[in-house]
Amino acid sequence: MTDFLISVAPTFKHWLILSAALFAIGLYGVLARKNAISILMSIELMLNSAVFNLVVFNRYVAPEGADGQVMAIFVIAVAAAEVVVGMAIFVSLFSRRKTLDVTRVASLKD
Amino acid sequence: MTTAVSSLFFYVLSALALIFALRVVSSPRLFRAAVALMAVLGATAGFYLLLGAEFLAAIQLLVYVGGIVVLIVFVVMLTGSLGQMEDRTSFARKAVAALGALNFFVPVAGVFYFADLPLIQAVDAEALPGAKTIGELFLSFGSEGYVTAFELISVLLLAALVGSLVVARKVELKEEVQ
Repeated sequence: MTDFLISVAPTFKHWLILSAALFAIGLYGVLARKNAISILMSIELMLNSAVFNLVVFNRYVAPEGADGQVMAIFVIAVAAAEVVVGMAIFVSLFSRRKTLDVTRVASLKD
Repeated sequence: MTTAVSSLFFYVLSALALIFALRVVSSPRLFRAAVALMAVLGATAGFYLLLGAEFLAAIQLLVYVGGIVVLIVFVVMLTGSLGQMEDRTSFARKAVAALGALNFFVPVAGVFYFADLPLIQAVDAEALPGAKTIGELFLSFGSEGYVTAFELISVLLLAALVGSLVVARKVELKEEVQ
């Protein structure tokens, strides 16, 4: 059991494919969901996997520096700002239109 | 032995992260999707611990799990969609979305798996540099430092705070002024 676990120990490729899978799931959510809050949650998944990628590259390409982690903290801060503004827009939208269905909020299209 | 344990943790956390991520994008109830998102972000904090980035794992738990998900849950409750089901999306929409996601995943994963990435050699580092190095990078001037971006990000956060207050203000108040 121990030997098997050591032989399948995660390498660079495992981490990258895992983060690509999480990103693809988020992409599916953005394309398939209709509710604005669910779309924002899927975007959070995608941002999270991108941050994850930065840390993986930091660990495997330049482990003596901390630049990947610094970038990751920047992305987390920008994601927090994005969620705050997005949620304010959703609350305002809901109080005007009584819906958060993005297929029915399309007056800019006409 | 340490390798075996961290390998076991990697596979368990990956399975959890993927299952809960699928739940985020498929659960018809928004509140359950938000809780699943919390689980995915927590599993990612576990990944950061496995990679040796302890400070980032703490940041992930504090900001993402403790801040962003709680904010999402607040808005789910404020917009009255707590028990409300997400509208059933049509099968065609789901199929197109799955096609789009696979169209991303298959080439990218193929490249990662088959390509012989020349830059990357396996490095045996126990841990990445911790909070001390990160803090010095944030506050150092010069070509290696990030002090300008660090100051700008605080301005961005302040602008987001004020902007969200303006956007989410009561609508009636604005009409009274006019």
